[in-house]
Amino acid sequence: MATNPLVQQNRKKMVWSTIVAQRELIIMSIPLLLYKILFSYVPVIGWTMAFQNYKPARKSFFNQEWVGFDNFVKLFTGINGERFLRDLRNTIGQSFLTLIIGYLGSISLALLLNEVKNVKFKKIVQNITYMPHFLSWIIVAGLVSTMLAIPTSGGIINDVLIRLGLIKEPIMFLSEPKYFWWIVAFSNLWKEMGWNTIIYLAAMTAIDPTLYEAAVIDGANRYQKMWHITLPGIKSTIVVLLIMNVGHILQAGFEIQYFLGNGLVVERAEIIDIFVLRYGIQMGNYSLATAAGIFKTVVSVILISIANFIAGRLGEEKLI
Amino acid sequence: MSVRSRKRIDVENIIFTTLNYLYLIFLCVVMLYPMLNTLAVSFNDPLDTVRGGIYIWPRKFTLYNYYVVFNMDTIYNAFYISVTKTIVIVITNLFFTSMLAYTISRKEYIFARFITVVYVLTMYFDAGLIPNYLLIKSLGMINTFRVYWIPHIVSAFNLIVMRTYIKTIPESLIESAKIDGAREFRIYAQIILPLITPCLATIALFVAVGSWNSWFDTFLYNSGRQDLSTLQYELQKLLASTMTAGTRGAQAGVTEAGRANVGGSNVTTPQSLRAAITIFTAVPILLVYPFLQRYFIHGLAIGSVKE
Amino acid sequence: MKKTLTLLLAMLLVLTLVACQPASKQVTPTPAPSNQSGTGTGGSQQTSGLPVLSPDNPVTISVWTMTNSSAPASDNKLTKLLKERLGVTINYEIIPPENADQKIGVLLAGGEFADLMGTTDLNIRLIRGGALIPLDDYLTEDKANLLYEHVRPYWNRLATDAGDGEKHIYVLPNYNRYYGEIVGGTHYGASGFWIQKHVLEELGYPSLENMTLERYFQMIEEYIKKYPTIDGMPTIGFELLCAPGREWVLTNPPQYIAGHPNNGGVIVDENNVATIFADKEIAKNYYKFLNLMNAKGLIDRESFTQTNDQYLAKLATGRVLGMYDQRWAFGQAHDSLVAEGKYERTWVSTMPVYEGCTPYYADREVMNINQGYGISVSCKNPDVVVSFLNTMMSEEWQKIFTWGIEGEDYFVDENGRFYRTPEQREQQNDLVWRSKNRLEALYDNMPKRQGTYSDGNADSPGNQPEEFFDSLSDYDKNFLTSYGKKTWREFLNQPPDNPVYYPCWQIALPDGSEAQVASQQLTDLAVQYLPKIIMADPADFENMWAQYMNEIKKVNVKAYEDAINEGIQQRIREWGGGR
Repeated sequence: MATNPLVQQNRKKMVWSTIVAQRELIIMSIPLLLYKILFSYVPVIGWTMAFQNYKPARKSFFNQEWVGFDNFVKLFTGINGERFLRDLRNTIGQSFLTLIIGYLGSISLALLLNEVKNVKFKKIVQNITYMPHFLSWIIVAGLVSTMLAIPTSGGIINDVLIRLGLIKEPIMFLSEPKYFWWIVAFSNLWKEMGWNTIIYLAAMTAIDPTLYEAAVIDGANRYQKMWHITLPGIKSTIVVLLIMNVGHILQAGFEIQYFLGNGLVVERAEIIDIFVLRYGIQMGNYSLATAAGIFKTVVSVILISIANFIAGRLGEEKLI
Repeated sequence: MSVRSRKRIDVENIIFTTLNYLYLIFLCVVMLYPMLNTLAVSFNDPLDTVRGGIYIWPRKFTLYNYYVVFNMDTIYNAFYISVTKTIVIVITNLFFTSMLAYTISRKEYIFARFITVVYVLTMYFDAGLIPNYLLIKSLGMINTFRVYWIPHIVSAFNLIVMRTYIKTIPESLIESAKIDGAREFRIYAQIILPLITPCLATIALFVAVGSWNSWFDTFLYNSGRQDLSTLQYELQKLLASTMTAGTRGAQAGVTEAGRANVGGSNVTTPQSLRAAITIFTAVPILLVYPFLQRYFIHGLAIGSVKE
Repeated sequence: MKKTLTLLLAMLLVLTLVACQPASKQVTPTPAPSNQSGTGTGGSQQTSGLPVLSPDNPVTISVWTMTNSSAPASDNKLTKLLKERLGVTINYEIIPPENADQKIGVLLAGGEFADLMGTTDLNIRLIRGGALIPLDDYLTEDKANLLYEHVRPYWNRLATDAGDGEKHIYVLPNYNRYYGEIVGGTHYGASGFWIQKHVLEELGYPSLENMTLERYFQMIEEYIKKYPTIDGMPTIGFELLCAPGREWVLTNPPQYIAGHPNNGGVIVDENNVATIFADKEIAKNYYKFLNLMNAKGLIDRESFTQTNDQYLAKLATGRVLGMYDQRWAFGQAHDSLVAEGKYERTWVSTMPVYEGCTPYYADREVMNINQGYGISVSCKNPDVVVSFLNTMMSEEWQKIFTWGIEGEDYFVDENGRFYRTPEQREQQNDLVWRSKNRLEALYDNMPKRQGTYSDGNADSPGNQPEEFFDSLSDYDKNFLTSYGKKTWREFLNQPPDNPVYYPCWQIALPDGSEAQVASQQLTDLAVQYLPKIIMADPADFENMWAQYMNEIKKVNVKAYEDAINEGIQQRIREWGGGR
């Protein structure tokens, strides 16, 4: 920190001249920055609800009863706390599994699609694989539920397994907690796999074709091409998405747990968002809901910071 | 290369291609079945569907479910609103997001990092239902068309995707343009934009689908204006009207006893109506996608990245 | 610099172009109810206190209502009627009840409401949140005379404390305020242990008196032995359900079997003290019994994992012999069977009880408190709205809502009795016809004349005895006659007078209170443990039950019981008479 006034003066000049030089970029971006601050950050004043016993009818945020960290304490202790922590575990577990399976599925699909030479076939496959994305979760939950039922209720999976002789009695997938995380992960996979390949395929188009040509000349087979050209080519996309998803680890979906969760599997099925719905919103307890929300945010921010940092260390493209 | 290794490569290729095709076909069947099932259910008599056993073909064909959907005359206006809203959102999104993405992709831009952080963080917090509502209210956007698109002009996710894509464009291209005297906005409009069309198409699709399927914002902010209602919201309400009342507060069973006589029985069921609604809302998107798809498949082989 | 300015201008241009998006119509603010007639137009009406509604003074009333019914079609004939006769236009804001929580929250925070608010919120948030105006001043002989008559005998019950220590009537009750004879009951809407008609037929229509759990399941067991499959699919003995919102199918029965009426999660003894029953012997015995029945294979394995849709689908296949449920909840399945002519596969209600207990399944229809329409503080012309409601209370309009237009929706025979032709009955089933010819969304939360009209006709077709019997299938007619009964209701007990405080499930627990949380926790525990307990090996029953009991001990049950008891005492003190 130079105390030399001359240096400070110069620094100021430099900053100012940079601003002037970059004024076009500034005009192109600052309004949008302010816009975002208005719509996303300003309402955060509402987080004060978490420290109050908020009753909407009292209107203003400043007209409420303050309870300090009471709501947070309620979240983590007592029978409520047991429940919340259990839900936390479920949320992370489901997210994590969904993430891994999702990545493996969609990246591999993108790679395989890229290998298809027949344009028509490629187009058809793409169009079909993204269709599940449009089905609402209510329908998907219904379909999943039917597929996992016993054969007489339309349970295809059990039907096939029994016919193949792999099991004797139908497995009650929806009654056993241990299956639930997998059900969530695979349902997500089924629904989003095709859709997620869109980004990867778009990124693949940015890969310089000459690289492939050069590889062929060097005698590379397709696996080598995939490994050395395609994958690295979309690496920045993968990493960026990965960092973002890591931040979302406390967001494990909602609909599927809501529709398929039942008393028998609640040990493994209930996630934070459902807890917030049941004990927060449906009881008009916005304070508790907000407290849980703040908790999620704090964790997310910590996680992406770490992920971002690691990415930078590994020489990868950072998110920020 | 020796003759033998070439042959081996050929055989390997064939095996790989076959397996690949088989896998992809399997995937297609798995993905397609539920859509076909939904289609079948939508064309099947509702009371017959309730007995289960419908797979990919309707057992008792009927147009009744669609008849109910099309006879809601609120649907037509809602359709128009949904389409308009989607178009507006897509256009504004593409323009503003790409412009902002360009600015933050410039390494030398002093505010690049700051803006990125501000945006990225927004993906991880939410101020909550009530605070957001109060903000919208104070901006006078309750019961207006504006509330559909103004809060959604730029989303962090799309921004990052675009920025990443823009960063793959070689600096040399931009530098040479600058040397030629081009200003930032011109570089953005004339060089960057044409080069990122696959990305634009992708984002357009994401945004369009999101906007098309959303109903909660209508519910929260515009439920008082029937003429601004969107397709999904109308269909949600239609769906609710076929449910037998009483999933909540159902110990209040007696509340419903009187109701049983007033309404009579419903001849369409939630399941069937849901199926018809799904097909109805999915079709427009399914029609739009093929047009955008050409950008992915053919890519931009115009040598955008040739030095 | 010039370039920068151009850039700025360009952006501005784009922004304005984009901002001036045409809405489908000109953006007009939500019309406030305009009342050109002011208060008290000179003379000529029955009540001098309220403005007269007429086509010469058109008004628009905004209605916000929680209902599952859909808005009327634009060419709805009753909408036209309202406009022609009274000059009234209604703007609907329809909120499906399951999403209402969030909407209510933001409305209260924002402070602006529609003129008329139709609420079925058991937590009376709108009232406690100060959204509604007290109606006391209007409920007098010379103002809203018909509404006054509607609430007068029940004033003490209806008056609620909105938080300021005073009691006023804020909401007009939507259901179960009876006039004249209580003819209602041909169609029985509520609880029972239902059993398939064919089972009874096969057994020669045995007497259903003194029913016990043992006998109930025995009948089912015998039938299954005879008919292991129905229509090619396995027969299911007993069906349970605990899908979200329907947990009570699992948790309600013990109180009935012990001879108590439905008080929600508690049983009230003769000293008017309430205690929960989930941890008592009566519950344990019931679930133990189910556990044994499950071991015999009489209970559907998928009971606890199925959604409501799947449950209904199973019922509609006609292979389910028995279930505990409330009639309105499986109406869809019933209708499906009827549509296929499978009357014998529908069910009739029985009332199993423990030895020494008297069945009390059927209660007197309880009037809904604080569910219905209230007038909001944002309403600019409450006089007009009250006048509207009062007019709607007249027999003339009530008949229009329930029976329809004479000559179109029903006919009158030479004795003045209303009846319908088969075609007229049919069209009631058609959703589209209904959206053009009925105002269900409006009527749902409206105060109703139930019972009989002054001309002796029942309040609605379903309760008109001749209509009812006529509309039955031959099978059902035969069935009823074999049992010597005329209506389904006769299969249940004659309801004694409800205790003053009844029913406890109506007692509103304050938002965020310990009591509310405890109540939710109890439900959650039930749903978590009971299925496991029922499906377990009988040898493990005691262990698992003990576990369940332990978990219950962790819940603050006392807070819940205290809240209910307080509610009971309050009701006893304040109710029991009109004004």
